[in-house]
Amino acid sequence: MNEKRMRTFLEIIYNCPFILLVIFTSIIFSLLFDETGKRKSGHETAVSQMVVEGETAGTEADDLLKKNGITTENIFGKDGESGEKTADQPRQEEKIIQNAGKRKGKDDKIENDSERKIDIEKNGNAGKTGKTEKRATEFVEYEPIATDSRYYSDAGKIALTTTYDYVKENESYFNDAAFLGDSRTLGISDYAGLDGADFFCDNGMTIYKLLGDDGVTYQKTGEKVDMKEILQEKRYGKIYIMLGMNELGYGDTPMYLRQYLKVIRQIQEWQPGVIIYVMANLHVSLEKNNMETEFNNININDKNVASARLANGKDVFYLDCNPLFTDEEGYLQADLTFDGVHLYAQHYDKWRDFLFEHGVEKDGKDTSQ
Amino acid sequence: MLFSSVGFLFRFLPIFIIIYLTLPKYRNIVLLIGSLIFYGVGEPYFVLLLLLSVIINYGFSCYMFWEPRSPQTNRKAKTARRRKRALALAVVFDLSVLFVFKYWDFAAGSINAFAGKGFLPLLSLALPLGISFYTFQMLSYQIDCYRGTLDKRAGLLSFATYVCMFPQLIAGPIVRYSEVAERMESRRVRIRDLENGLKLFTLGLGLKVLLANQIGTLWNLIMTAGAGRLHVLVAWLGAFAYSFQIYFDFWGYSVMAMGLGKMLGFSIPRNFDHPYTSRSLSEFWRRWHMTLGSWFKEYVYIPLGGSRKGNGRTVFNLFAVWALTGLWHGAAWNFVLWGIVFFLLISLEKRTFGKRLERSTVLGHIYTVLLIPVTWVIFAITDMGQLFGYLGNLAGYHREEILVGITQLVRYLKEYGVLLIACVIFATPLPAKLYWKWKDRWFVVLILLGVFWWSVREIVLGSNNPFLYFRF
Repeated sequence: MNEKRMRTFLEIIYNCPFILLVIFTSIIFSLLFDETGKRKSGHETAVSQMVVEGETAGTEADDLLKKNGITTENIFGKDGESGEKTADQPRQEEKIIQNAGKRKGKDDKIENDSERKIDIEKNGNAGKTGKTEKRATEFVEYEPIATDSRYYSDAGKIALTTTYDYVKENESYFNDAAFLGDSRTLGISDYAGLDGADFFCDNGMTIYKLLGDDGVTYQKTGEKVDMKEILQEKRYGKIYIMLGMNELGYGDTPMYLRQYLKVIRQIQEWQPGVIIYVMANLHVSLEKNNMETEFNNININDKNVASARLANGKDVFYLDCNPLFTDEEGYLQADLTFDGVHLYAQHYDKWRDFLFEHGVEKDGKDTSQ
Repeated sequence: MLFSSVGFLFRFLPIFIIIYLTLPKYRNIVLLIGSLIFYGVGEPYFVLLLLLSVIINYGFSCYMFWEPRSPQTNRKAKTARRRKRALALAVVFDLSVLFVFKYWDFAAGSINAFAGKGFLPLLSLALPLGISFYTFQMLSYQIDCYRGTLDKRAGLLSFATYVCMFPQLIAGPIVRYSEVAERMESRRVRIRDLENGLKLFTLGLGLKVLLANQIGTLWNLIMTAGAGRLHVLVAWLGAFAYSFQIYFDFWGYSVMAMGLGKMLGFSIPRNFDHPYTSRSLSEFWRRWHMTLGSWFKEYVYIPLGGSRKGNGRTVFNLFAVWALTGLWHGAAWNFVLWGIVFFLLISLEKRTFGKRLERSTVLGHIYTVLLIPVTWVIFAITDMGQLFGYLGNLAGYHREEILVGITQLVRYLKEYGVLLIACVIFATPLPAKLYWKWKDRWFVVLILLGVFWWSVREIVLGSNNPFLYFRF
């Protein structure tokens, strides 16, 4: 009897090794990983990993901030009152970041109030109404909708291109320009015809990876290069950054802003006097807009509004290209795109013209303030 | 629910198989309920439409086989008339449902555009998943009943199970009732069937996830740049990429269906026979989506008279079959154009150079390898302006300067070169031949295990992190 059972058992093993292996490995994997493919041990490992990545990319930025008398802690609002604040600018930054973090809470009123304060501070000695002062990044407010996501919330406002007396330029303006970004920037590199500029971009690039050790592809050579080295060795007059799409489902908006700030501070240290353009992420089409995932225009706008706060109208400018390509409701127009995310090649010249129209000449009167 | 989803692989399938095996007496009912759940998860409302269609079709088939008790005069003629009426009702009903859901907006939109004003309202209905497949399957059943191919009608449970069974419900193959009739009554599942079925399923999964999905991103990349201003080589690369994508996608799905069928004790007919190694387009269509091709041949081409009623009639019959084949694939003009292109080329082959092509190996292969991607481009691009732009690019014609040129081509080749080579290899019969030769060897088992988990990994990353999947 026992022997017979043994034989059936062996027969099964002999006859269906594949099924048994699949079942066996399934059990092992189900013990090791959760459904999203993340390691089970250590809750939120992936997120903490992101933070680590972000931190390492920005450690040098931290050093810089420390030199200015600010520690990472108070920049991130854990300990707002301690520490000396020598410069005016970092104090603003601190508030901005606290504010972005606050947005997770429900108290919109308070948020809006402090918002106004910042705008006023930003405008320096300008009037209290906060109307179209020069060098301000304006926000148009609207009624935010409730969102339920750990990645974003509805910003309740739209950031407009930083107000400034831009000069119309031509191609030579881009001879000392660098573009840093993801596949959309790759599109500009490929199809906008700005051959004088240096493009550093990859599909899937993020603000967290930009200064990391994995490097970014330099489009002129097709080789991966280390942005840290490039930015320390080569001098640029202007740097265009457009990142945020691949961050939509990768950490939340305050974290994105924190990292963006570090990257910009770092670049400013390596490239003193450089003009930085923070470019808005292009919205997606109605078809691609998916409120059930993180992949929607509310989230994109949240990221855009966050990055727009970094613009100061002196050496950091926010450029919003969305009006060029979106309909009244903010969706990318369906006939401009195949996949709802990227523009057709032929429409990049519109984008190029937009960049031409937003030249900043540093020698003018506008830097005097 | 898709076969290539975590929910299907790790929840639905194992639970279903266990219940199915432990209740051998109630296999049809278990399979029917399981299939309705499978369908209902994705289509919670249309599952009712499916059930309603099944019950109404069952009613028609009852009417067809109905024998009045009382002796009647003229019995034979009356029976014949009744059968005809039942068939007509079934055909009208099935095609009407299909028309309303799939073709109404297209027809109304075209008529409105032609008339220059909107006098037909658009319904904007969502397309019920798999409706083209299950409608054709029910039609084949009704016609087979009418013709006497099936001598007795199936019971309600058998019929419903046959139409709804989840392995082939949403993407074919289109199975005839006669092919599964015996197994519907009773079927045995041996442990070897389970093993071989799962292996086949894994192969199909690999074709779909590791080849089709991946090469599909290249096509998407090229289309993202936009049709009309592509370098001729980029345009061809895109056409090949799409040809591979659609083939491995559909073939993979069919192989998964075959594997699942085997695990359940059925033998589902095969749908593809390495079509890209054909030497003429007629041969291609004998080897591509074979169950659809034979459906049209059996139920449209031959009833119309096939090729036995003179040349003019043959040409018309071919035209009818290909226009319908085009429309079956989708309600848009590019599908009609696609069907007509096949009609023209296949008629030409039949009349003139077809035989010569099939005899000469080299010429035939060059002919199909160059023509088939062009037909797929017509299939893929719904917008007429873009379609003609792309076709122009394929011919090396550009109205405006090229935007996607050699620089991008080199980058695409660098990124997709290995995958393209893999696609070419899997388009030949070689991998299948090796598989059937060695399928029980231990190393094949290990390779399949790798394919399985690699596919699962791609699925998990893709579904939970669309940002990695789409890679902006």
